[in-house]
Amino acid sequence: MSEQQVYEPRVVAFLCKWCSSAGSDLAGVSRIQYPANATPITVPCTGAISPMYIMSAFNKGADGVLVSGCHIGDCHYIEGNYLARRKMQLIMELLEFIGVEPNRFRMSWVSAAEGAKFAQVITDFVNDLKPLGPQEKLKKAEHS
Amino acid sequence: MINVQDIRDTARDLLAKGEVRAVIGYRRGSRGMLAEPAFITSPEQADELVWDPTCFHNLSLYLVHDRKFLDHIRKNPGAPVAIIAKGCDARSIVVLLQEHYFKREDVYIIGVSCEGTGVLDERKLAPHLNGAQASNAAFDGDDFVFTTAEGEKRLQAREVMADRCLECRIPFPKEHNAVFGEDKAGRQMEAPFAALTRFEEQGSGERWDFWSHHFDRCIRCFACRSVCPMCYCDECVVDSITFPVTTETTAEDKANRVRWIERSAVRSENITYLMTRAMHLAGRCTDCGECERACPVNVPIRLLNNKMEREAREQFGFEPGASIGGPSLVASFLDSDPGDFIR
Amino acid sequence: MEKILNKKHIDDWIAALDSWDILGPVLEDGIWAYQPVSGAVRLDHPNTRQSPKGLAFPQREIFFKFEQIKGEAPRLTQVVPDEQRHAVFGVRPCDGRGVPRMDLVFTDHVEDNYYQARRKNVAYVGLACNKPPGPNCFCLSVGGSPVSTDGLDVQMTDLGDRYFVKAVTETGKGLMTAAGKLFAEPSAADQKQVEQVHADAVAHPQRAVRNVEAVPAKLKASFKSPLWQELARACIGCGICTFLCPTCHCFDINDEVQSKAPLKGIRVRTWDNCQFPDFTMHSSGHNPRENTGARLRQRVAHKFQYFPENFGMPQCTGCGRCVSECPVGIDIVAVVNKVVENAG
Ligand code: SF4
Ligand code: SF4
Ligand code: SF4
Ligand code: SF4
Ligand code: SF4
Ligand code: FES
Repeated sequence: MSEQQVYEPRVVAFLCKWCSSAGSDLAGVSRIQYPANATPITVPCTGAISPMYIMSAFNKGADGVLVSGCHIGDCHYIEGNYLARRKMQLIMELLEFIGVEPNRFRMSWVSAAEGAKFAQVITDFVNDLKPLGPQEKLKKAEHS
Repeated sequence: MINVQDIRDTARDLLAKGEVRAVIGYRRGSRGMLAEPAFITSPEQADELVWDPTCFHNLSLYLVHDRKFLDHIRKNPGAPVAIIAKGCDARSIVVLLQEHYFKREDVYIIGVSCEGTGVLDERKLAPHLNGAQASNAAFDGDDFVFTTAEGEKRLQAREVMADRCLECRIPFPKEHNAVFGEDKAGRQMEAPFAALTRFEEQGSGERWDFWSHHFDRCIRCFACRSVCPMCYCDECVVDSITFPVTTETTAEDKANRVRWIERSAVRSENITYLMTRAMHLAGRCTDCGECERACPVNVPIRLLNNKMEREAREQFGFEPGASIGGPSLVASFLDSDPGDFIR
Repeated sequence: MEKILNKKHIDDWIAALDSWDILGPVLEDGIWAYQPVSGAVRLDHPNTRQSPKGLAFPQREIFFKFEQIKGEAPRLTQVVPDEQRHAVFGVRPCDGRGVPRMDLVFTDHVEDNYYQARRKNVAYVGLACNKPPGPNCFCLSVGGSPVSTDGLDVQMTDLGDRYFVKAVTETGKGLMTAAGKLFAEPSAADQKQVEQVHADAVAHPQRAVRNVEAVPAKLKASFKSPLWQELARACIGCGICTFLCPTCHCFDINDEVQSKAPLKGIRVRTWDNCQFPDFTMHSSGHNPRENTGARLRQRVAHKFQYFPENFGMPQCTGCGRCVSECPVGIDIVAVVNKVVENAG
């Protein structure tokens, strides 16, 4: 590691198993280059993501949280992603409301076939997170 | 003007005829002018009921308590319970009905209109009384009249009313079995979400300074949750009572236990609690103001709920507590919901 | 030691206590709270929203940190409260009387090291109540008084343009001698005035628990009374009454994990509260205090029966916080009086 340690944001990515999770696998097997900053957490559907997960990820030190699921019309459970769209918008607004940088939360639709898009989403997110530096606002304090 | 005698007569009548098994209302407490919740079960007690600017409590919480208690003793409700409800309180009842918490026939709503005013914010009153204590508070047209040792003190209600009442759009309980007072819709004294709008004029940095300060101050007494009729979960995310700790429980087990929010009342945990609560109330909070009133350290909780209420209204055209049959905010969607924030 | 301090010298006194962290009543966000102050202390506050109990018994106390690397022995590092001394100004007599009650709890049977470590570094500089500052004060009826010095290190009495300052303990003497030059000897007129002010303070009408000596027996006889549930009907089970109380001391101990690999975290003590429904909840789901009535009974009987039985004094000091701040009007004075009356 160089003397000036480069800041690498940690992203927690909640990925729907029917699409974005498979999309991330595809990005991998296709050997598309993208930053390795994301810790994927596979969920059965974006509709199953509680806003609590988002808060909890930030609480445990995530610098950014990504929610990614099936395109509108493609949800395996028909309407899960419609419900997620509402809920995620609300938590996004609330985070911004209390003064958390809007770029710390992101949502995307990535299908199983969109390996390249997945790589792009992660790349963009990491690039947008870098100038923000570590997320300290919502994070549990360490006790030294 | 509502004549409290009419409310008493209705309560007495309902109890005498056995049409309800109890009336939940307000009575004079032991603390100066303040009203307190009353649970009356016999017609003779009806005369205890009061109606004044200190009737701030959202009594629909006690419908929830009642339901929980009946479930606990596995008893059918039988006759309904009557409840005195202001506009915002009645909307809470509508949300509970919408969520099938109990049935419409289990409750008899005695609606009271706030007419030209609303309820008192005690915090605003104190400076007007210069240390004196009021022993009584009464509605009088657009005024509140307080009785103190030094005599009568008349104040324009709008000077000392709760913010939510100043901004209230519907100071009338649309859903009711009986109702007292006129429907003075449009008597609103401040624009809807006025306090929220003022707050949001600040930049992101100032907003964080404000909230981090208040998140640090919360003592996690959970009064905001306990006083809220919508916070009816048997087990709240902040309690972890279903995790049995025995002598066999290893450190590993404990470490792996899902704990969303630690017990320590520190910023990170308080944030997670208060933000989650705001999310859980989105589309359900009817701005009855009880959480903020109950908070012993004045955390401005109402702003969070208000923010959700306004987003629901502006983004999704959703109005909490508007109709029993309607969908709930987060269990429904429209094709037209905004999605441009999604990549 | 009894002295006179001109009001304009209070800031100089505080400045002279440079080895102490000074706290005083500050009005912020609409409530009075003890906060760090540096000069410009004004003691014209009603009682603070929270009692000063947190100085010796903070809402959160970290006991130790733990770390376990697989295959190695667990490592525990004790966290010791720092040695900084705190002097808190403007403590009302009822809160002063809370101090010896907390001391009993954390000294009897077991010495609580964390409490002791903090407690020995706190000095309570009291302010007599020339007139009860709150509508729900009832110190006189629970053995206290608006001019009590119990638990205080120094007692100040407001005499208009000056304070009558009295050292109650050695620590108090130390605080005063640290700025000896600022204090003057009280004249005979000062003595007379302070006596008068104290007499007036005590004569001021207050709310009252009736015949407090008889209360324990009556409460004991009322354990099964249905009145409890009736009186607690409106209780919402929030923690306000106990979190704000100067003598409530219940706590919970938890391990808070901060990282899983390696396993790392802290063991913390946090305030807990007998009014929370899950306070007595067993793992099985059974709850021996299953309703608000049983929980209110616990709070009241602890203050007015169990504590007197164990220590010979009511635990409640009559500060009135739980009465004033209960969101639904549960009033310990009215509750005790009603239960006692009902017990016949
Ligand atoms: S918010 Fe509206 S309905 Fe509720 S008390 Fe105030 S004025 Fe009445
Ligand atoms: S916000 Fe206020 S009422 Fe809610 S838990 Fe925190 S201190 Fe208690
Ligand atoms: S209870 Fe007594 S000591 Fe406490 S503030 Fe009131 S008058 Fe003062
Ligand atoms: S008595 Fe009042 S303050 Fe105490 S738990 Fe019950 S409702 Fe809360
Ligand atoms: S029980 Fe209530 S009045 Fe008594 S000391 Fe505690 S808070 Fe004060
Ligand atoms: S199944 Fe992928 S979002 Fe619902």
